[in-house]
Amino acid sequence: MPSTDTPLVRLRDVHLAFGATPVLKGIDLTVGKGQAVSIIGPSGSGKSTILRCLTGLLKPQRGELTVAGTAVHQLHGEAAHRPLRQRVGFVFQQYNLFPHLSVLDNLTVAPRKVLGLPAREAREQALALLAKVRMQHKAAAFPGELSGGQQQRVAIARALAMRPELILFDEVTSALDPEMVGEVLNVIGELTEEGMTCVLVTHEMRFAEGISDQVYFTEHGVIVEHGSAEQLFNHPGEARTQAFLQHALGQPGRRRIPDTYVLRNLSPYHLSV
Amino acid sequence: MANDTLAALVEWAPALLVGLGQNVLISLTAIAAGSAAGLFIGALNFSPLRPLARLWVQVFRNAPWLVLIYFTTYVFPFEVHLFGRYLAFPDWLKVTLGLALPASANVAEILRGAVGSIPATQWEAARSMAFSRAQVFTQVILPQCFTRMLPPWMNLYAIITMGTALASLVGVHDVIDTAQIASNTVNRIPFTVLIYFSLLALFFAWCFPISRLTQRLERRYAFH
Amino acid sequence: MNEALHALVQAVAGWGLDYRFLFDAYSRASLVDGALTTLALCLCAALGSLAVGLGLACALVSPRPVLAMPARAFVDVTRNTPTLVQLYCAFLVLNMLLTQAVGTGNPFTPFAWVVIVISLHKGAFHAEALRAGLQAVPATTLEAAGSLAFSAPQRFIYVQLPLALRFALPALVNNLIDLVKMTAIASAIAVNDVTYASIMIWTQSDNVIEMMVLLLAFYGALGLLVNAIGRWLEARLRMPGYGQ
Repeated sequence: MPSTDTPLVRLRDVHLAFGATPVLKGIDLTVGKGQAVSIIGPSGSGKSTILRCLTGLLKPQRGELTVAGTAVHQLHGEAAHRPLRQRVGFVFQQYNLFPHLSVLDNLTVAPRKVLGLPAREAREQALALLAKVRMQHKAAAFPGELSGGQQQRVAIARALAMRPELILFDEVTSALDPEMVGEVLNVIGELTEEGMTCVLVTHEMRFAEGISDQVYFTEHGVIVEHGSAEQLFNHPGEARTQAFLQHALGQPGRRRIPDTYVLRNLSPYHLSV
Repeated sequence: MANDTLAALVEWAPALLVGLGQNVLISLTAIAAGSAAGLFIGALNFSPLRPLARLWVQVFRNAPWLVLIYFTTYVFPFEVHLFGRYLAFPDWLKVTLGLALPASANVAEILRGAVGSIPATQWEAARSMAFSRAQVFTQVILPQCFTRMLPPWMNLYAIITMGTALASLVGVHDVIDTAQIASNTVNRIPFTVLIYFSLLALFFAWCFPISRLTQRLERRYAFH
Repeated sequence: MNEALHALVQAVAGWGLDYRFLFDAYSRASLVDGALTTLALCLCAALGSLAVGLGLACALVSPRPVLAMPARAFVDVTRNTPTLVQLYCAFLVLNMLLTQAVGTGNPFTPFAWVVIVISLHKGAFHAEALRAGLQAVPATTLEAAGSLAFSAPQRFIYVQLPLALRFALPALVNNLIDLVKMTAIASAIAVNDVTYASIMIWTQSDNVIEMMVLLLAFYGALGLLVNAIGRWLEARLRMPGYGQ
């Protein structure tokens, strides 16, 4: 996968605490342009927190965050974050589509009002993106009429409609019924193949292994280990990484069971964060 | 001059309070009568006489209260022949009846809403214990309705109290009428300004604590 | 036309109802004029109250105390004092002071004062309903809007307000039905609305019950109309996945 010299995302020694509770204790993370990076780990390890820092939804107390050339840690106030958020897409666990707008309107409202696209161009773009996520037949439907998987695909299309340089996926399949997970993962897989820079927080280990250029394993607010997908999943260096992967993927040599099935029957690595 | 104005207000204060007492009397009587009638009409909703109850509620919830007060004031005679004696039918009592009509319609709706909010499982449990229909009501449903009805009922009382202000328009000597008399008697502009805003303060002092209490009760007994 | 009227009046006279005032052109015109005035009051006050309600609701949910606290105080005072007293304070006090200050240049007619007072009074009720609606919009939905780089005003106009309006619509419609009934207090300051016109007629013709029937029918019909409009709006602004 291509990677230029200046990384699109760089976190250096990022610390964040909620009140007195430290959540991120010195995170270093790099994402090159065109790369797909997965962040895996048990719940409470700080994965989603890292993602939220990248668009300024949360503010770290210490450290440097550079996203698409912008020093995020130096931004103050909502208005300052807007240019950054135009270039970084975010897909939420709970889809968060606008219930009062049709699917098509959900995709066109931000490009028209924020990017200033003319209505016809926004509409054409929206229909093309809906075709890409295979939801074009539901353009006139409302979010309340769609299944979870359908809503999440629309949410991905909505993020793409802003023509971002980078998309962040925050456990986007965790709230879905198992039979709908595949259709969403397919869309994300295609995006990474087309060269979109993606950062995913996910519990879908098999999927993460399949698409990632880099994988980061976090636990208790620190990055325990990171490396290429092949390295981390097959030859993990740290004992903690091994332990997590064994629980998440089953013992080597055992019959391979679909990830979502395995994860639902195990603790302490629950699906919810 | 400010001193004079305040002194005049202090002078009229007892009369104002007596007038406010008239309003409070009307409101208490109206809510009492309206609640009694409203509970009866609300109960009719669950009997074969349901259309009658619906009609009563529709008519008296869609009528302006001022129109109803004019109605009761003009329709009832000014004295009643009872037990061989002539009893005066005071104006404030007519206003009370005029307010009791929409009050009863509202109480009937509050009762209907409260009964409707009780889960069907309660009915099933009661009937499977071989209670008669009347017993189901009195032993199981109505006791649970009480707390659910309390906040909207108190809200209704506050609204009725504010409605008693309309009594001044049909000649009842209430606090507003007293204020008008005072304003004409003293006949000074600063005093007029002061006394009308005192009316606001008096009603506020009576109604605001009630609405606060209602909010607290709502938080405790809310069922949605 | 006259014959039809005669026939109608004769018919109801059989039930003991006296509608002979309808033969008098002046009384008829006065009643029709009253009905039109009431309609005008309802329309102006409805629009005014919705505007006031929106402004107050924004102030109520504002994080700035300089906006939120006076709004809160205004809503509490307005909702806990009688509309009639508020009307007197406006017409007998403020209007009088205004006339003293500018003489004949006072632009406010009694009609205007009724519209102002009812708009402010019902606006406070609308504000409470809209405030609840604004606070019912899930934070996650607003977060999603933020992630699409909407500015704060854009988030409000395109996401928060449309959703709040849909949540608050039933309460707003109920308030407007109350507003229709509230316009009757215009008769207290001698505005020739339908109630005042009826009072004039029944004090002359002594047919209180007959006028009551007409009045109740008129206000009832208006209430039904507002209710129907409300239901049409609810259908148009429907949002699958929420409620009914």
